[in-house]
Amino acid sequence: MQLIKSKNLSVSLAAAACALLNVGAQAEEAPADEWKFDTAILYYGETDRVQLAEGVFNANKDFGDQRIFNGKIAIDTLTGASASGAVAQQEAQTFTRPSGNGQYVVNPEETPLDDTFQDTRVQLSAQWTQPLWENMTGSTGVHLSKEYDYLSLGVNGSLARDFNQKNTTVSAGVSYQYDSIDPVGEAPVGLTSMVVDTGQFADETLFDAAFDATRTTDSKDKNTVDLLLGVTQVINRRMLMQFNYSYSVADGYLTDPYKLLSVVNSEGITQDILHENRPDKRTKQSFYWQTKYASDYGIADVSYRYATDDWDIDSHTFDSRFRVQLTDNSYLQPHFRYYQQSAADFYQPFLVEGTLLPSVASADYRLGEMTAYTIGLKYGQMLDNGKEWAVRLEYYQQSPKNAGFDEPGALQGLDLYPSIDAVIAQVSYSF
Amino acid sequence: MSQVPLLISKGDYFHGHFFCMASPCEVLIETQDTLLANHILQQVVVQTSRIEQKYSRYIAGNLVDRINHSNNSWVQIDQETHRLLAFGQTCFELSGGMFDLTSGVLRKIWDFTGNGQFPQPEQVADILKHIGWQHVEFTEQHIRLPVGFELDFGGIGKEYAVDAAAKLCTKLAPTISVLVNFGGDIQVTRPRHQHAYWQVGIESPQPDKSPQRNESPQRNESPQRDESPQQVAPFQPTEDAAKNTYAMVKIASGGLATSGDARRFIMHNNVRYSHILNPKTGYPVTGAPRSVTVATDFCIQSGMIATMALLQGSEAQHFLQAQHQKHWCYW
Repeated sequence: MQLIKSKNLSVSLAAAACALLNVGAQAEEAPADEWKFDTAILYYGETDRVQLAEGVFNANKDFGDQRIFNGKIAIDTLTGASASGAVAQQEAQTFTRPSGNGQYVVNPEETPLDDTFQDTRVQLSAQWTQPLWENMTGSTGVHLSKEYDYLSLGVNGSLARDFNQKNTTVSAGVSYQYDSIDPVGEAPVGLTSMVVDTGQFADETLFDAAFDATRTTDSKDKNTVDLLLGVTQVINRRMLMQFNYSYSVADGYLTDPYKLLSVVNSEGITQDILHENRPDKRTKQSFYWQTKYASDYGIADVSYRYATDDWDIDSHTFDSRFRVQLTDNSYLQPHFRYYQQSAADFYQPFLVEGTLLPSVASADYRLGEMTAYTIGLKYGQMLDNGKEWAVRLEYYQQSPKNAGFDEPGALQGLDLYPSIDAVIAQVSYSF
Repeated sequence: MSQVPLLISKGDYFHGHFFCMASPCEVLIETQDTLLANHILQQVVVQTSRIEQKYSRYIAGNLVDRINHSNNSWVQIDQETHRLLAFGQTCFELSGGMFDLTSGVLRKIWDFTGNGQFPQPEQVADILKHIGWQHVEFTEQHIRLPVGFELDFGGIGKEYAVDAAAKLCTKLAPTISVLVNFGGDIQVTRPRHQHAYWQVGIESPQPDKSPQRNESPQRNESPQRDESPQQVAPFQPTEDAAKNTYAMVKIASGGLATSGDARRFIMHNNVRYSHILNPKTGYPVTGAPRSVTVATDFCIQSGMIATMALLQGSEAQHFLQAQHQKHWCYW
């Protein structure tokens, strides 16, 4: 037998093995520390209300030894309108724009919306994670978010320690965020009446003077500190469980300068429109439990969050996803989320004339009693080249509720708690 | 595959175990992430079962069965099958015809379970008419086998499954070191984080015989693969291999395969014939080592060199030395 008597045989076999396995020579294989990118485009659209389009670019790089960098850029554009807080009326209502320049009219029986809602927001964040010493991992990051009238800056740091052969991980983190708002037309003084030009001003300067009298140049800053404690426990080879507790204190200007509050008489007819006013401090705690379970058919991910704060908003969030592996390279993931919250103690859908004016009050539907649910479906596919794409479609419905307020006279026939329907669509691609 | 895959934590790695291709199969995954380890194991099981279902010669109605009963007509094949055939073609050429994917029909007359009869010369001559890779025609889409011929991927199937599993693991977890071991055919995806290499025992060809010092393998000390001497890693033999090992091998990455006659042989006139058959003569090779283990970049590359070495009979050692690859030879 005449076999090749040299290294050539090995080389030829190596080449044949590469061809068989459809891989390059081993030395050419992709290094582990390549950049990995995730991109996504998201659309969120409420019926007749807010529409949002967002692009996200996320980059990860593993520098080896579990030293990982993450950077993220997100840009979103918001258009449309959201409920201002004023109640609908049988008659048309006239409001002054937040800038003081011009007016807008809301038709009878329609929920008043702030119709000049348009903004572009840019968010940047960077996070660095690395092992510090045996069984200990540290992570720190910064973020910046900027929109026309809003600036947010944040820093965070956390430590995680593994115990019990890495079956248990305990983590503690702290973050600080500084927010500054610079509202269009300056922020209104809380609970002052909106100045509406109905012909009572002899000229524009008098209107401007009256408008400016309701404005304040006080600091509109907010400081938020969050503390987070977490435990992650591997239950068995298929199940993972996580508990988190967070404590958050926000201090400063927490009012929404664009939200309004109607004052109605005993017949339910609007007599005055006030600018809302909220407490300048909010302390919030939340308890979070999550379980992931990998079965032969897919991965279930279920979580529950209970949050409570000193504004008396208690909320329950139940979230579940189930990822079904369709083939080796594709999956389908149904999603269901249910949310419920109670109203803030200063929430008032409207004020009644002749009653004592409170020091804080808001008619913002986001502070009222409500339930909301989301149902959705996501489909993802891994391509032969290792890249992955996914598409997600979800439906969201938010149903504000009357938290026990009597509706005098004319208000009874009107929808004071309109529900919101929204569609969420997202396409993502990872490479 | 009938066994449920098992996954056990071993501290800084997971040990996954299942049974497939008539072999105990194991996957060692250097991670503490249970979900990831489980996902990797499940995916490897799925793929390995798929390969077994597709290429086993024992499964009626599968691709190999259809090819073997095609009566000289063209049978459609896919890309994966074409790559396997092209690999077989290369091995046939490199071995000067000694490795032949059609030589499996010899098993009809050779029984290596230990109780087999030595066949008559007429039987051998008869069966030789149905062997010869040069008579097989194939394209990227089709294959045609002469009547009476049979395709048998038994010589490369397990090694291919090992490499395919390792490739899958690299795709699923590129930064994690995974050792795939299907009945002694091994591939390691990348160096470990903790110890740099996995330590593996090579099984003795005679399971009932304890290893003795003077039977230590003759090692080719070519330096390019093994950076030893290094400090010895904690003893981490792959499961089941510990009791009859005659050599401990450290693998940082790459493939390792063993060819030998530990359990497969035939006795005739008190001579033990190996199960390595010469497709040209129809008879077993004599004078060959009992077992050859080779380490190269790929499991299937190692397996092919080991098999070709055994086909060299008494010249196996010389052949191996000429390849300049790390190897262990047991006589």
